[in-house]
Amino acid sequence: MSRTAPVAIAIATGDPRPIVRQIIDAIRRQISTGELSVGDKLPSVRGLAQQLGINPNTVSKSYAQLAAEGWLESRSGLGLFVAVRRDQLSTAERERRLGEAVDRFVSEVIAIRYPADEAVAAVAGALDALALAKRA
Amino acid sequence: MTTMSDFAIETRGLTRLHGRKRAIDALDLALPRGGIHAIIGANGAGKTTLFRILLGFLSPDSGEAFVLGRPSATLNSEDRRRIGFVNEEHSMPGWVTVAAVLAMQRRLYADRWDARAFDTVIASFDLSPAQRIGQLSRGERAGFNLALALGQAPELLILDEPTLGLDVVARRRVLDALIDGADSEHRTVIYCSHQIEEVERLADTLVVLERGTLRNVSAPDDFCARISQWIADVPFKGPDAIPGLLQHRKIDGVHHYTMLDADTGFADFLRDHGAKTIQTMPVPLDRAVDAYLTRNHAGPAA
Repeated sequence: MSRTAPVAIAIATGDPRPIVRQIIDAIRRQISTGELSVGDKLPSVRGLAQQLGINPNTVSKSYAQLAAEGWLESRSGLGLFVAVRRDQLSTAERERRLGEAVDRFVSEVIAIRYPADEAVAAVAGALDALALAKRA
Repeated sequence: MTTMSDFAIETRGLTRLHGRKRAIDALDLALPRGGIHAIIGANGAGKTTLFRILLGFLSPDSGEAFVLGRPSATLNSEDRRRIGFVNEEHSMPGWVTVAAVLAMQRRLYADRWDARAFDTVIASFDLSPAQRIGQLSRGERAGFNLALALGQAPELLILDEPTLGLDVVARRRVLDALIDGADSEHRTVIYCSHQIEEVERLADTLVVLERGTLRNVSAPDDFCARISQWIADVPFKGPDAIPGLLQHRKIDGVHHYTMLDADTGFADFLRDHGAKTIQTMPVPLDRAVDAYLTRNHAGPAA
């Protein structure tokens, strides 16, 4: 029987993002950074609701969306688990998100007046390092 | 048992006058069974009057009200057993002891008494059985009253400002107790509050009342999504009449508009009035509520 992985997230009321969104973002980030890994069991709906002091229906909605997006999978009777990632986003959506990431990056680079070629090299280096780490 | 209404509460064309003022004005409101429904509104919006009518303590001037499918005007003692109510004043006779009140409540609800729910809430209050109600602080009375109502295991729990006057520990225990029953089909909580932060955490439904009329019934997120903030460098004093404007401020020569149901058409509108840069962003729920409830006070700043 797998133990529940702790999910350390904080809800900020007064954040323009709805609480449903905040939970989704936090769990996606934890999965992306490896704080939660494939096969980890998530807290029960009621458990996370108690932990965060929020309505359980809100947790249900977040979990449902994470499951629909393929981040989590439900094993009947056992609960929700971090799923093996597969590419589910459409090409258009991936292009849109890449565009957003590039915009954010570029505005930072401009703000600190960094030479373009060095910024590009830094990104290439970071991506190479990530690819190496994955292969290792 | 026959039900005339499938809702936890329902009002049809409900009106109640206080003198010449319409405390409740042709209100049609239906809240489903199950979940937590929060009613917000400025002081005097009619929340307390609505609760009093629903519970049969006050008669409407016209219209109908139903609670758990029963007409509010003719609730019998069996109906009332299914409804828990905690009022804002937490009124109980001052001379009676904590132990006596508890014993009475347990006897009244012997068949359905939920000791765990009572104990969970009461644990955060340092009450001794021999204390008289008159010796308790406002917060202690609030906690005791709520614990008694939860112990009653009601199908419908109506709370008027349940956490007013509570310290942070007690408040958290109270919210936990409400959350605990929130995913049950057999418990409906309807409460009014000025604590928007609590509403955001707890409520399935946000009901906005204004001067006795219904302004919104939706999930809090959906209400929030209708309201947006726009920042634009419109020259001079900006356009005069703006449909959907809730609040307007001019800060350092830049116009800040809080808008209801504005879409990209509003950006075109601002551009037509000479705006060169336009930014838009979502607002948190507390600001959305504030902007909505104060919209009629909003005059364009000079």
